[in-house]
Amino acid sequence: MEVLATLTTLMLIYSLYLLYKFYSLKLSSDCYLIDYVCFKPSSDRKITTEMSGAIVDRNKTLGLSEYKFLLKVIVNSGIGEETYGPRNIIEGREDSPTFDDAMLEMDEFLNVSVGDLFKKTNISPQDVDVLVVNISMFSPAPSLASRIVQRHKMREDVKTYNLSGMGCSASMIGVDLVRNIFKSGKKTLAVIVTSESITPNWYSGTDKSMMLGNMLFRSGGCVMLLTNDPARQAQAKMNLKCLVRTHIGSNDDAYNCAMQKEDEVGRVGFHLSKGLPKAAVRAFAENLQQLAPKILPYSELALYMYRTIKQMAVKPKDSSSSAMARINFKSGVDHFCLHTGGSAVIDAVGRALGLSKYDVEPARMTLHRWGNTSASSLWYVLGYMEAKKRLRKGDRVLMISFGAGFKCNSCLWEVNRDLDDGDVWADCIKNYPPQSLVNPYMERFGWVNDHTEDSFKQSEREFLSTR
Amino acid sequence: MATEPSPQFLNSIRLKYVKLGYQYLVNHILTFLLIPIIITILVELAHVGPDEIISLFRFLNELDLIYIISSMLLVIIGATFYLMCKPRPVFLVDYACFRPLPNFRVPFSTFVEHSRLVPQFDEKTVRFQIRILERSGLGEETCLPPANHYIPPTCSMAAAREEAELVIFSAIDELLNKTGMKPKNIDMLIVNCSLFSPTPSLSAMVINKYKLRSNVMSFNLSGMGCSAGLISIDLARNLLQSHGNSYALVVSTEIITPNYYLGKERSMILPNCLFRMGAAAILLSNCRREGSRAKYRLSHVVRTHKGADDAAYNCVFQEQDSEGNCGIKLSKDLMAIAGEALKSNITTMGPLVLPSCEQLLFLFSLIARKVFKSKRKPYIPDFKSAFEHFCIHAGGRAVIDELQNNLQLSDEHVEASRMTLHRFGNTSSSSLWYELNYIEAKGRMKKGNRVWMIGFGSGFKCNSAVWKCLRTVKTPVDGPWSSSIHRYPVEIPDVVKLL
Repeated sequence: MEVLATLTTLMLIYSLYLLYKFYSLKLSSDCYLIDYVCFKPSSDRKITTEMSGAIVDRNKTLGLSEYKFLLKVIVNSGIGEETYGPRNIIEGREDSPTFDDAMLEMDEFLNVSVGDLFKKTNISPQDVDVLVVNISMFSPAPSLASRIVQRHKMREDVKTYNLSGMGCSASMIGVDLVRNIFKSGKKTLAVIVTSESITPNWYSGTDKSMMLGNMLFRSGGCVMLLTNDPARQAQAKMNLKCLVRTHIGSNDDAYNCAMQKEDEVGRVGFHLSKGLPKAAVRAFAENLQQLAPKILPYSELALYMYRTIKQMAVKPKDSSSSAMARINFKSGVDHFCLHTGGSAVIDAVGRALGLSKYDVEPARMTLHRWGNTSASSLWYVLGYMEAKKRLRKGDRVLMISFGAGFKCNSCLWEVNRDLDDGDVWADCIKNYPPQSLVNPYMERFGWVNDHTEDSFKQSEREFLSTR
Repeated sequence: MATEPSPQFLNSIRLKYVKLGYQYLVNHILTFLLIPIIITILVELAHVGPDEIISLFRFLNELDLIYIISSMLLVIIGATFYLMCKPRPVFLVDYACFRPLPNFRVPFSTFVEHSRLVPQFDEKTVRFQIRILERSGLGEETCLPPANHYIPPTCSMAAAREEAELVIFSAIDELLNKTGMKPKNIDMLIVNCSLFSPTPSLSAMVINKYKLRSNVMSFNLSGMGCSAGLISIDLARNLLQSHGNSYALVVSTEIITPNYYLGKERSMILPNCLFRMGAAAILLSNCRREGSRAKYRLSHVVRTHKGADDAAYNCVFQEQDSEGNCGIKLSKDLMAIAGEALKSNITTMGPLVLPSCEQLLFLFSLIARKVFKSKRKPYIPDFKSAFEHFCIHAGGRAVIDELQNNLQLSDEHVEASRMTLHRFGNTSSSSLWYELNYIEAKGRMKKGNRVWMIGFGSGFKCNSAVWKCLRTVKTPVDGPWSSSIHRYPVEIPDVVKLL
């Protein structure tokens, strides 16, 4: 009798213990963003409109049609006067970047931001268990992850991952990687470093599709600290609720629409094809299809089902794209961090999601202030929202980004506590939003549109002689 | 006439038996402890009379049904939770290596001739390259990609992409054929290539070619050196252990085309002479049904990063020389640093894999040195007792020599590494898989065998993985060694005279 009772009690205790272990495993799969630090380059790296003009002038192989094209791009880009570029371009050596130049560009970011994050969060580098670095277009050996380990003297058993070539949506791939490591249950502290290298990737040819990259990319970066330790939840800024990755590389057009390759003469550049918007739309649609059921409240999903069925009953051959626009994402999401790929991208995504001017303002302002900083742009957008004190406890933030391949990655964060840290926006947030976003380039170089080839050459000679 | 065996010899035999006896005792200690317990129970049972048994049965009948059901339920719940909390096993279903065609071969004569004809190399540099090749341990069948057969080599991005497509796609095609795997069933994809990282990534290239699903989890690792293959395996393991039934495809390669050094720095010339074309594709899974056909199960992965030490960080460094040529500089203390990194790795790996007897010896030796300040040499655990096979990254002859020395391995243990270096050269992260294939092709891989893979890479990293063989691999093995295994092992001279 006692034996049986003892045995049953032991089984009960063991089951409870396993239950506790299972529960703690589930808890540890939470992903908390403790803090993040964006990079603000030194002010001697600012690129103004005038400097952009000078850089374009330096390329003597450009003719009238190329000038017109570049003018159109820069004017429509939505980029302002305070964006930052790499030193070698500012110093006039964009055609012949050296390995040291590229490394210097990275060092300027890594030596500042990683240390800043440790100071801000009061974490020692020896506490870091996982380090993920993604810099798409520069991948030296030893990796930049190893460079950070060396500089901060991290532990021997730190797990480093150096992602490369994954495009502008790579910071979310980094978050996905970290999230998967967190699921193992062990209490882990992870640092994600995301940036882009512009120095070695300047295109010095005449292929129009490859010149876009020159005009739009700017220097920037972000370092984030994540953990799955529930003890740090109080300190955390946001929790990750869900993350959806979509890769439509299986479609040849999508794969080829953003590709690094050589032009006819053999100069390497980043080719952006005309099929890019179409690929982006496809990837976006597929991503939203998977994302919507995970983030929207059941009421909205039920309403959508009702609307679709009604629509199908009335006009069975109607396309699904218009039906998609009628999902109200604002029912499940309070703030939208859109990738600042360009004003066209922001407008398109805003229209697709049915967003107002207020919703797209953070992305527009980030594009104006920082330019397209590639994978780190989402974090500058988040910083804007924080500086504007828009993020309150319980708010849900949706991040969407696109990248070469073609990928569309999105994730949903829930704000853990009221946030008001200005970070890199602190000194200029009161100037935003500005009265006008019109680019002053238009007035300075508007004469380009009025010229023919001959008169262009004449006025060019005059223009150059006045400098 | 039989001579009296020397006292040293007798002593060593006695020692050997003592050692064997000690090993047996410690490894089976639990069994030895159980024996008295079993005897006690048997004795007790013998005392129990039939009356007591009948009264026990009557008691059980009187119990409430609820009590019985709840006990059974608890047992079932306990068992379910136990199974759910257990980390899922990671199986290596199969793997395939790139088989270079004979027209890519670079025999010594071709290498010497090409070096002489490349305009950027002066006579001193050519002589230096030839001297390295003479002592490298490479054979005449190693292969370079098509672009490197041009004089001078054409290092364009298009050529690099072509090489990537050639090596990666043939490895993956072979793997999919062997396993009967459909590309759309692949859930995770990890590609690692250290020195070539275009945008879109090589992982996107694989997704495009094989039309993988849109929700495939892809990662492209780059810049992580020759040990990146094991980093990819570690990442795949993390992914597989946090998802349901899934398949992960890991591709390890190194693209040679854009990395040919065209300068005169001696410390940067070595990679030209050693790095060769290669790739491996590995299919991992956590499906329990794969356990019946999988070749190996992953036991442990241990990663060590010595980057905090400045000398270790700088010993393998990519940079531009004074003339603007990009290359990888190798420092002179590379071997010492590799040895140190290995020691750190072993310290973590040891407790996981060594049998109890070795661990106790190591512990005693450690206590003796630290607590009692004994001056004896540190005890190096005998890893031969933990593993049957060793795959050491074929980074170069010196690396294999150093490790053989450090781990006190016999020539047979490092044969796979030496022969792979001879036949394929240094194929970077995929070399471990060529070595594994050698062991299989030689018919040495039996069920239950444990394999230790050790990789080194820039950073400086030392990563190792332990695999357990799940089924005896039958020969002949269809793989990169099919056409040449009958000629191996070969005697590799210290110096092959080329000049």
